[in-house]
Amino acid sequence: MLLVLSVEHRAHLGCLPRAGDAAVGELGRLALEQLRRGAAPRACESAARKLNISVDIIQHGVEGLVYLLTESSKLMISEADFQDSINVLGFSDELNKSLVQLYLDNRKEIRSILGELAPRLPSYHSLEWRLDVQLASRSLRQQIKPAVTMKLHLNENEDRTAQVLQTDPATLLHLIQQLEQALGEMKMNHCRRIVRNMK
Amino acid sequence: QRFRFCGDLDCPDWVLAEISTLAKISSVKLKLICAQVLRDLLGEPIEYDKILKLTSDAKLESGDVKATIAVLGFILSSAAKHNVDSESLSSELQQLGLPKAEHASGLCRSYEEKQSPLQDRLRACSLRLSQLGSVRWRVDYTLSSSELQEVNEPVVHLTFNMRDRECEKMTAIPVTLSANKFWVLLAGEALRGVAV
Repeated sequence: MLLVLSVEHRAHLGCLPRAGDAAVGELGRLALEQLRRGAAPRACESAARKLNISVDIIQHGVEGLVYLLTESSKLMISEADFQDSINVLGFSDELNKSLVQLYLDNRKEIRSILGELAPRLPSYHSLEWRLDVQLASRSLRQQIKPAVTMKLHLNENEDRTAQVLQTDPATLLHLIQQLEQALGEMKMNHCRRIVRNMK
Repeated sequence: QRFRFCGDLDCPDWVLAEISTLAKISSVKLKLICAQVLRDLLGEPIEYDKILKLTSDAKLESGDVKATIAVLGFILSSAAKHNVDSESLSSELQQLGLPKAEHASGLCRSYEEKQSPLQDRLRACSLRLSQLGSVRWRVDYTLSSSELQEVNEPVVHLTFNMRDRECEKMTAIPVTLSANKFWVLLAGEALRGVAV
């Protein structure tokens, strides 16, 4: 499948042949650093000074490269399709070759970075629990009422949240039974067949 | 087989596996590592470099060093949790394969010294939803208001400062009560002959 580059994107990438082939290596490196660690304006400035081009053009060139690499890696397009997609830019063969090499060398790493960006549900961190027995209250004296209080700590997008739950032992046993049934489902034939096929 | 320090349950497999790693370290160094792990359990900062130096003789990899700290932490905190005395802990560790002469007895002696502070610390860390920090009060006397020219009534202002365990934040909860309502709060019943 071919990548369709928008007019603006093509304009941003248009600075690459002006920068010269050696500079393309530098811009490629900057693009990868931006993918790994986020935008680095100072690095772009020093590259602009070294190559004697204005900072804006360097910035656009790096961003254009980043977008080109992420879109290609996302769709996992083949080398031939990548070649055809960038042919439309009208670059020299040298430049095309270095771009294709850049894509192939870093495709796997970019895919693993992109994999981490998917939204995540809150995940388990830890569970604190406490067993109490209520002996008396303002309304009723001489009771025996056991209760289990739990604090469920969750990791939600780098934040820690906590949920407090309270239940009596009978409900807790029922909850455990339901969860064990859910785990037991993994051992049934249906699940086993699917897991085997996925491996 | 059931162990008291595991809460009368089977010993976890990973603990069994790491006992042999513990046996590789000399008993003197094991006691010093124990002291560091106890510091960590008691909430003081752990000196990881010291532990690395102590384990360098036994030529443990970094994964093994972390496993050693984890297994010692588990044994000591679990024994304190189930209130196991050091004699029983020593005999159970020997059953698991820790050599008696120095290793098990050294470990248990460190445990015995710090058993009470460890249990106090575990008690303090137990789940608590919120904690009352302090109560402040003020009694005002209302002279008059926009509704009534002569009010002449006392009013009690209370502020409960609640501490949230994790954030270490104090939240202030202000409450304002009329004198009669305050009596109900204090005594559990209204003053004779007064409508609340």
